[in-house]
Amino acid sequence: MLKRFISMLILSFILLCGCGPAQTIKPGDLVLAIGGESAEGYDPTMGWGRYGHPLFHSTLLKLDENLNTINDLAVSHTVSNGGLVWTVRIRDNVLFSNGDPLTADDVAYTYNTAAQSGGKADLAMLKEAAAVGPNRIRFTLKYPYIGFIGKLRTLGIVPANIHRTGRNYARNPVGSGPYKFVSWTEGQQLIVEANPYYYGMKPSIKRMIFLFMDEDTSFAAAKAGRVHVVALPPILGKQKIPGMTVHPVRSVDNRGIMFPCVPDTGKKTPEGYSIGNNVTSDIAIRKAINYTVDRRLLAATVLEGFGEPAWGIVDNLPWDEPSIRIKDNDPATARKILKDGGWVDTDGDGIVEKNGTRAEFTLLYYSNDSVRQNLSLACADMGKKIGIKINVAGKSSDEILRLNHSCAVLYGYGSHSPEEMYNLFHGKFAGIEQLNAGFYRNPTVDRYLDKAMSSSTVEESNRYWKLAQWDGKTGMSVRGDAAWAWLVNLTHVYFISDTLDVGASMIEPHGHGWPITANIEKWRFTK
Amino acid sequence: MNIRLVSLPNPRQKSAASITACLILLCSLFILNAMIDETGLGTDLGRRYLAPGHGSILGTDWLGRDMFTRITKGLCMSFHIGIMSAIGSSLIAVIMGLAAAVFGKKVDAIVALLIDAFLSVPHIVLLILVSFTLGGGFKGIVIAVCVSHWSRLARIIRAEILQLKGSDYIMMSYRLGRSRRWIMAHHMLPHVSSQFLIGLILMFPHAILHAAGLSFLGFGMTPDRPCIGVLLSESMRHISTGYWWLALFPGAALVALVKIFDVIGENASRMLNPRTKQE
Amino acid sequence: MISRQTASIRKSAAFLGEKTFRLAMVMCLVCAMSFVLVQNSPVDPVRAYIGADANQIGTEQRTLIAERWGLDRPPAERFIRWAGQIVRGNLGTSMIFNEPVASVIGKRFIVSLGLMAAAWVLSGILGFALGIISGVWHRRAVSKIIDLYCFVLASAPVFWIAIILLVFFSVMLQWTPVSGSTPPGIPAGEITLAQRLHHMLLPCASLSVISIAGVALHTKKKTVEIMQSDYILYARARGESAFGIVLRHVLRNSLLPAISLHFSSLNEIFGGSVLVEQVFGYPGLGKATVDAGIRGDVPLLLGITIFTTIFIFFGNAAADYLYTVIDPRMRHMEKINEY
Repeated sequence: MLKRFISMLILSFILLCGCGPAQTIKPGDLVLAIGGESAEGYDPTMGWGRYGHPLFHSTLLKLDENLNTINDLAVSHTVSNGGLVWTVRIRDNVLFSNGDPLTADDVAYTYNTAAQSGGKADLAMLKEAAAVGPNRIRFTLKYPYIGFIGKLRTLGIVPANIHRTGRNYARNPVGSGPYKFVSWTEGQQLIVEANPYYYGMKPSIKRMIFLFMDEDTSFAAAKAGRVHVVALPPILGKQKIPGMTVHPVRSVDNRGIMFPCVPDTGKKTPEGYSIGNNVTSDIAIRKAINYTVDRRLLAATVLEGFGEPAWGIVDNLPWDEPSIRIKDNDPATARKILKDGGWVDTDGDGIVEKNGTRAEFTLLYYSNDSVRQNLSLACADMGKKIGIKINVAGKSSDEILRLNHSCAVLYGYGSHSPEEMYNLFHGKFAGIEQLNAGFYRNPTVDRYLDKAMSSSTVEESNRYWKLAQWDGKTGMSVRGDAAWAWLVNLTHVYFISDTLDVGASMIEPHGHGWPITANIEKWRFTK
Repeated sequence: MNIRLVSLPNPRQKSAASITACLILLCSLFILNAMIDETGLGTDLGRRYLAPGHGSILGTDWLGRDMFTRITKGLCMSFHIGIMSAIGSSLIAVIMGLAAAVFGKKVDAIVALLIDAFLSVPHIVLLILVSFTLGGGFKGIVIAVCVSHWSRLARIIRAEILQLKGSDYIMMSYRLGRSRRWIMAHHMLPHVSSQFLIGLILMFPHAILHAAGLSFLGFGMTPDRPCIGVLLSESMRHISTGYWWLALFPGAALVALVKIFDVIGENASRMLNPRTKQE
Repeated sequence: MISRQTASIRKSAAFLGEKTFRLAMVMCLVCAMSFVLVQNSPVDPVRAYIGADANQIGTEQRTLIAERWGLDRPPAERFIRWAGQIVRGNLGTSMIFNEPVASVIGKRFIVSLGLMAAAWVLSGILGFALGIISGVWHRRAVSKIIDLYCFVLASAPVFWIAIILLVFFSVMLQWTPVSGSTPPGIPAGEITLAQRLHHMLLPCASLSVISIAGVALHTKKKTVEIMQSDYILYARARGESAFGIVLRHVLRNSLLPAISLHFSSLNEIFGGSVLVEQVFGYPGLGKATVDAGIRGDVPLLLGITIFTTIFIFFGNAAADYLYTVIDPRMRHMEKINEY
């Protein structure tokens, strides 16, 4: 009896193994393994699509390939009353994917709900949105805030009558974007289909499957020919995948060293964390490091060639000040800066000193990130050449939040909105977690940042964003205060099936994967 | 195991020999650890992904770190975690067990409830909860393992002492006017001490495995210090690229270490356990 | 006859009553303890919720988020409110999934339950069979092989076994899928049972491989004891076949203790499933537990603690009940043998 039972078990095992993976992808379907799952669902009022291109939803404005702001749902927008009142006129005859019309009421509902929901869509500047006609919406802000245009670009519009019922909208989203939601197996895959009611360019690809797997599994799936688009870390960029070609995309996904800019006077934050560092608070040290690092070499070795030098936090975006670029890999200039700043090696140990303080500080990185670890180690080597000793240590994100006011940290940022620059460099955010962790404060820069934020037009604000970086006399960038040493912008690595044409991809923000879908309606199969 | 050894002429000698062999193996690990310096832990981008045997005994990882060094250091780390948490949780177990048996009904009820509660929360959930509270790290792991592993041994010790209390010679001793404390010190503790020792050794494998599991899930050690769980979780990123040695050797080494303690524990319990030591 | 039945019903009822009271006490203690634990964590829930978007979210929005989750209240008030909700069956809302904790657990537990049940039954049957075989024919080659298997695998880390199986069967031979519980490209409603089983194969195997050893070792010990007992000698002398002896005496006497032991191993199986799900990207409760811990989802972590505690408590209670059924005297012996 027992033997028979065991043999049956073995037999059923063999049968199961033999049946192999069933053919499940239909021809014409596009399969992507680029991550980007939103565990909390696809509700824009809770933060879905806060990096733009919410797929199921359309936004009032959007960015084109050259990062210019263009209309999407909107046909025009005006800013009045000193930047306090924004009026947007939207298209007529737009339908949601369920066939219901999209009206100004839906837009007003979406914005008001998002402002109050306490999710990840930050609309704290919005006082009220109101429909003032069938296709006209008036937004009243609490204070002038040009960053609001970023919200117009990213907040997807939801149908008020469906969303209001609260019946798990996040897991059954309905919107007016190029694709509509079909099904979502949490932790595994998302299936979408072209939205027949979409008002824009009709996508050529009718059905897409997003697989959510880690990088190693994605790589395995790509090698087995099961996916058309895959996002991979730079370390796998040199691999060969049959039937696929590497597709490098430039980004502002930058990595740089944040320096504490104030000396250690024994002061502590309200949470009890120490503030300041007596070495990095000296501008000569910060500038010398900026001049001596070889950014090109870092990109070529640590990033395997998938990266380029970074000079600021907004490289190559419309609000980037081009003159902040310097000639780096220049130890001679760096040594001169140190000497002029009073840093001399008096005891002959290879490390410079000033008034008895050794040029030695700690550089922290997130311990689970091997790219940041390697960048830190390489920078430490480069610093040693000019007599600055950088001790490198990997820590968890919680530990770094306790130490980032007194130690240098290798951070990564990069956004399609200049708000990030405002949050990282404005004096009023000094010491708030990792916003302005280094207590950087320059009244002139603060004034430019404030002026940029309260501008009425994007063009005007861009002028001030640039001035904040470098106005010819001062600024946050390496030519001015050198508050950070920016090192590299990553080049995001994708492998694309040879049968697929994805067009020209835009410069991507921090976060590798989902941004490649920005122009997804233009993708098409070539074979 | 048990049965195979019974057939041999002198099981006690055989047990002693096994224990000695295991201890020698352990010592050689420490000697090895002391002999290897830390240069293998540093990154060396020129020596990445070396397969085992090609200039490095067990190969190198994606940063050119030497796997042999990392595994040896990682095993020692596992050993330290194991010994600290096994001692800690056995101590908690003995204190709880003794308190329950000696301090009367109320204390006993509380201890019994605590034991029940700690046996009902899944180990892994309790481990995650405690290391979440302590923010991970060496201390976090050790305390988490201590907190989650004492209950089983405490239950055994409590049962043992309750049984002992009802035995004739304790009753006699009590009637002869000995105080509770005297009985505890002279009759109960010696009786429990062998249980404690066996429990301690047998706790080792559990402690090491759970600590490794916790690190594997990302709650334990940070990656800059080698630790078997971390090595294995890192190896997960390199499975489809064909770097099998990153996964195979750390796990095998851990199994060997755990096995050493299993064998020591089994043989020690055979020698110390009052029920089988006369065999 | 009737009186014996009522007596046994009364006994069972008493057992049930005692266990229910016990469960209530244990739950109160576990709730209080776990709440204190998560409250004292250095992880700030608002920061954990914001995650990677820290630089995009200003201070006003942070205050709003804290209000939404009630994090601006003092801990005592939060505990009372939370405990009040628990009593009414509401476990709160998960921060990661933005969904009621009960529904998060429900969805994921179904996935894990299939996996755990399959592994539990499989390892129970295989372990018991192997134990009987190596016990009846001990000192033969087959017994030596089974012993070796148990010796090596009884203490191997389950996640390592899972990785090795993954490398061998999924990456090298490509027989089994690399990750997930369902094949890509099929909406949830159209997935066949065969596809689900195909995805479950490797996780289930890795989970069973370990627990087989425990059951097998225990059953073997029992079987050898029984085989050396007087009544087996007598049966042999009477000319009963080995198969008949196994069927009539060994199975009957060693099955219940094995099942009982297997019930009390639910704790380990659940622990194993957390690790295995992590390796195979299997979206069950185990993976949700790890996510909740790593990403600081306090409501979910507490909900999972409560839920799994009840689950394991029932497993332990079933084991205890079987002990009392088998033999009151055995109860003590089993406990001694447990370690």
